[in-house]
Amino acid sequence: MTTDHDINALAGEFVLGTLDAAEREVAARRIVRDRAFAQAVANWERRLALLLLQTPSVTPPADGLEKIKTKISMAMEAADRANNVVSITRSRARWRAAAVSMAAIAASLVAVIGTREINWSNRPTTFVAVLQKDSMSPAFILSVDTKSMMLTVRPVDAKREPGKSFELWLVHDSLGAPRSLGLLPDDAPVTSPTLRKIKKSVFMGATYAVSVEPMGGSQTGAPTGPVVFAGKLLPDGI
Amino acid sequence: MSSRDALTKNLQRVARHDTEAFDALYKATSAKLFGIVVRILRRRELAEEVLQEVYLKIWQQAGAYNPSKGSPITWMAVMARNRALDALRRVRMAGGDDCCDVEEIKSGEMDAFDEAELADDLRRLVDCLEALAHDKRDMVLLAYFEGYSREELSQRFKSPVNTIKTWLHRSLTQLKECLGS
Repeated sequence: MTTDHDINALAGEFVLGTLDAAEREVAARRIVRDRAFAQAVANWERRLALLLLQTPSVTPPADGLEKIKTKISMAMEAADRANNVVSITRSRARWRAAAVSMAAIAASLVAVIGTREINWSNRPTTFVAVLQKDSMSPAFILSVDTKSMMLTVRPVDAKREPGKSFELWLVHDSLGAPRSLGLLPDDAPVTSPTLRKIKKSVFMGATYAVSVEPMGGSQTGAPTGPVVFAGKLLPDGI
Repeated sequence: MSSRDALTKNLQRVARHDTEAFDALYKATSAKLFGIVVRILRRRELAEEVLQEVYLKIWQQAGAYNPSKGSPITWMAVMARNRALDALRRVRMAGGDDCCDVEEIKSGEMDAFDEAELADDLRRLVDCLEALAHDKRDMVLLAYFEGYSREELSQRFKSPVNTIKTWLHRSLTQLKECLGS
């Protein structure tokens, strides 16, 4: 039973936030591939969140909501200038809403596919993956256009350490080892035809993972540093 | 409709960028989330900023909420805690620990969100925390609410880091057994 206890304690410390940076990386990676561990983490989130909910309420300032709406409008407008992943028509955004931010696109795609708010010009050929550490912190938005076979990756909130590079990997059982898809700058989008040589069923079902590598990328052809962000393309359910 | 169902519905509408649902969601949850953020940060002005960030995130990520994984208020509360702890760490890293303009809030005071089912679970959790030795309970709460690392706990409790780790593990195991779920 020690393993159960280990999983439980590790998951508990992950949620408490007491793991050191290296342990935290390992645990974050484990969440992606170890269902039992992910469940243990979710259980602790749920148990301990009760403590948050019993915290006495405090009335926020009267202008709080207005300030938030301003912030949302600004975020949406800023994203509008940077965004061309999907075409969006807006039927009723009331707050000078122009377009939504990258993270918002991804988040709403998950839930809203098929509603009036997002209007794909015809049959969808664009698929999107959010590469993130957890659901709160999207780092890159990856999109694949299955018509042109172009892969585009945009940084949302990714900070590279000095002297390191982010490298993108395609992970799929059929490939055996992860395949490098190239380096990712943290300040500009990259577009490449890198998927052309890969079967559609593979890149559609694969996990896209970002590892931290020495400057210029892995020397070995395999990931050498920790996987810090990962995600999958949203399924074709439109 | 229970408050949980209503929140879930509103959150799902917010995912579609429905501004009316966002207003309703804010009205129903902002005092609770602000309480959490204020408790963690204990700095009023910073707490106001962080609350704005939290609702921006909610607007952006409402679509990622999965009702089968927990109640909507829990999802939002966890998000509020994460943002607040991030801000707290930034303040600490900047060295400007000019704490604090809000009184410390102790656990134990019952003010559960208006969900009866939650109130039962909460009572059990508080009982189980009470059953921990005093300093072990404080350790868990300092980590959870103030983002204490093992090193910081080690300094605070004047014990080696490895001892802290052992205590945390024991406390977590005891808590889980006590909660029985």
